[in-house]
Amino acid sequence: MPAIFILALTFFGCETDDFQKLDDRKWQLTWSDDFNGNAGQVPDASKWTYDIGNGQGGWGNQELQSYTDSPDNVSMDGEGNLVITAIRNGNSFTSARIKTQGLFAQQYGRFEARLKTPYGPGLWPAFWMLGANIETVNWPQCGEIDIMELRGQEPHIIHGTIHGPGYSGGNPITKGYALTDARFDTEFHVFAIEWSKEKIDFFVDDFLYQRIERGDAPGEWVYDQPFFMILNVAVGGNYVGFPTDGTPFPQKMTIDYVRVYESAN
Amino acid sequence: MKKYNFTLLIKSLPFGMLFLFLAACQRDNEDLSPVTYPTNPEVFIEGFSPGLNYAAFGGSVPTAFDVDTEVTYNATSQTSMRFEVPDAGDPRGAYAGGAYFTDVPRDLSGYDALTFWAKASQPANIDVVGFGNDLGASKYQATISGLPVTTNWQKFIIPIPDPSKLTAERGMFLYSEGPENGRGYTFWVDELKFEKLGTIAHPQHAILNGEEQTETSFVGVTKTIGGLSSTYNLPSGINQSVNIAPAYFEFASSDPSIATVNESGLVTVAGGPGSAKITATVGGVTAKGSLTLLSVGDFQAAPVPSRDAANVISIFSDAYTNVPVNYYNGYWAPFQTTQSADFTVNGDDILHYTNFNFVGIEFSSPVINASSMTHLHVDIYIPNALPAAAQFKIEVVDFGTGGTGSFTRAIPAAQSQQWISLDIPFTNFAGLSNRSNLAQIIFVDVSENISSFFADNVYLYNNGTPPAAPTTAAPTPTHPAGGVIAVFSDAYSTIAGTDLNPNWGQATVVTQTPIQGNNTLKYAGLNYQGIQLGSPQNVSAMNFLHLDFWTANSTSLNVYIISPGPVETPFTLTVPTAGWSSIDIPMSAFAPVNLGEVIQLKFDGNGDIFLDNIYFRN
Repeated sequence: MPAIFILALTFFGCETDDFQKLDDRKWQLTWSDDFNGNAGQVPDASKWTYDIGNGQGGWGNQELQSYTDSPDNVSMDGEGNLVITAIRNGNSFTSARIKTQGLFAQQYGRFEARLKTPYGPGLWPAFWMLGANIETVNWPQCGEIDIMELRGQEPHIIHGTIHGPGYSGGNPITKGYALTDARFDTEFHVFAIEWSKEKIDFFVDDFLYQRIERGDAPGEWVYDQPFFMILNVAVGGNYVGFPTDGTPFPQKMTIDYVRVYESAN
Repeated sequence: MKKYNFTLLIKSLPFGMLFLFLAACQRDNEDLSPVTYPTNPEVFIEGFSPGLNYAAFGGSVPTAFDVDTEVTYNATSQTSMRFEVPDAGDPRGAYAGGAYFTDVPRDLSGYDALTFWAKASQPANIDVVGFGNDLGASKYQATISGLPVTTNWQKFIIPIPDPSKLTAERGMFLYSEGPENGRGYTFWVDELKFEKLGTIAHPQHAILNGEEQTETSFVGVTKTIGGLSSTYNLPSGINQSVNIAPAYFEFASSDPSIATVNESGLVTVAGGPGSAKITATVGGVTAKGSLTLLSVGDFQAAPVPSRDAANVISIFSDAYTNVPVNYYNGYWAPFQTTQSADFTVNGDDILHYTNFNFVGIEFSSPVINASSMTHLHVDIYIPNALPAAAQFKIEVVDFGTGGTGSFTRAIPAAQSQQWISLDIPFTNFAGLSNRSNLAQIIFVDVSENISSFFADNVYLYNNGTPPAAPTTAAPTPTHPAGGVIAVFSDAYSTIAGTDLNPNWGQATVVTQTPIQGNNTLKYAGLNYQGIQLGSPQNVSAMNFLHLDFWTANSTSLNVYIISPGPVETPFTLTVPTAGWSSIDIPMSAFAPVNLGEVIQLKFDGNGDIFLDNIYFRN
């Protein structure tokens, strides 16, 4: 019997521009994980599965890490959080990538996570989604929605992005959001999208910083089917560059919760 | 902006003075409200900010700093700070260095970093840059070592460890840089100011290099907490370590009745028995590392040495002047585990070795000629109760030809927790052939159950007993080989077939022994002793018989040469000797021996004699 959350509309202060004046919306919780396990406990197998290994030489991005399902790389901290830890062993790295593929996917709604990012050059944490039909149509035809990505050398900037046919890889639709005098690795922040047939809105701490509408895509709009969620910490790769000698390890992404809602309007 | 700050300065000062004047008429000054200082963040933007002064450090090139109007960080900037680092050997000074400080302190507590742009005429690492040097106590100095500058302008950030401390800071900037690979160059700094960035994160501080240390201690022991470090994650995600002054740390003791700690990190054991844990924070962030002191109460000092300083070569003692020592702990990688936790108690310095397996003391610059010393003395104290008898080995190492000598002393379990004075004759160090180039003393825990020990009064001494054998080789002869007929010497070819120990019925025990690698002839318990030459020798062209001889206990010694007949004549040698005696005896002293046919030599007398370089020369 899932609890039902009603998320009331939040209006921002009078100085906020018209862009923030969103339509009234109500959300009903459809899926969540609060990670309230004991320290060292691995993610709930009914909600999460793993990507393991080095993804045929770096998951398409020349990433350096090897993903594992070891509690050293992914487990609860006993304080209500899931921690994904990237570990350096000489010149090699282990980390973790968990996903709801095959267990949960949803079309439209609000997808959010409250988390604290890792930091340091070469670290690439992400909270993102892929179209559930990836097995049949491949990427980028399946579509990809990156709710939060961060380059560890810019721990005050996150990016929200979509990749689809004709606008993927180095040429997606994307926008960054920067904190002026704070960082995403020192405090928890809530990263969310609100996705409907017409558009995808990107939020940080309920501040709308990017809206991508159906007509904005230079190629086919492939976001009318269920997507599953992914949480991972990559090391190195095309997007972020390589870690340096000065990059501190181990690095942790600490996730308080992941929640998914559908519109109750 | 400048004008505003200047006005603020003028306004605040007279107010403070007025208040002081009024307060002086009353009971005390305790009701004074704290003076507030200007918060101007600018140090050098377009020239010196108000009230800023510059002073070059001693020994630096006084003119190294200048204001540059040509090279600036961007088009809108009119001036920058230029620093000319001298070549090595520049007569004006060895480096560029100085401090920028204000007359009136500034309140910098609202900022979290000193930032600036910098570039250089070549890639270089600037030795030290930072702030907090006020040419006085410099209580809150913070610096970065080896700042990497390139030929492009880059922004640099020096995090402020705990801004709340900087409510009255005069030290705005400091730098020190020597030549790179012997050559000078130029670097520039611009837009130098304090900022509130908000993006400096994950402070990590450490005392004692982050280790959790435990030490047995005594009332009166003082010890300064070292191994201070501080690291911050910069907005670029990279960690930056900052050298920070002790005053940024708030030190605390879990039980001040056992041990106190002051703001400089000086720990004093005040009572006992009991334990106290010393910890620290910086700006409310707990530093890694701690020191737990297990005080056993009053300290028991080692016996005070009483030997005459004239007969002592001291390595570590407050009773004597110590010779130069390279180190008291070599931290020999990779197998040594021993750490040092030396302390001072009631003015007495004590070596304290913890986590002991082995440890070496080196005194090789210069080495010690201990030839005239007879013993090694060391006082040791094992503070923890021994679980069983221990085997404590001492090695002495000679960097010349003496090799390594070792001596192991059994320590009964009951002798822990008390001073044990070891007086070890050098003759007991097995394997040490001489000690004229002593350079190391090594302590080894053979039984692997001595977890730690104190050491004091490590010295070499002469106990007044004459040595039984020379410790140095006889002098090397210098006479040309062409004018020499040699009987016994490493320096010359000797007469073939010579018998150094013919059986003439004597009681003398003859051996040959190397001294510093030089073969030496030893007569022990001399009554008489012959040498049978391999063939008769015509030495009529020779002028002298040369001998080197050494004896500590002989009271009579004669040397003879013999021709057939026998015809023999003694020559009396002066004994005992002070070190090696070298003598050239005129051949005429041996008349009427037939110098055309010398067949034997002979010694008689008493005692133990060492001989070398027996030869005829012209």
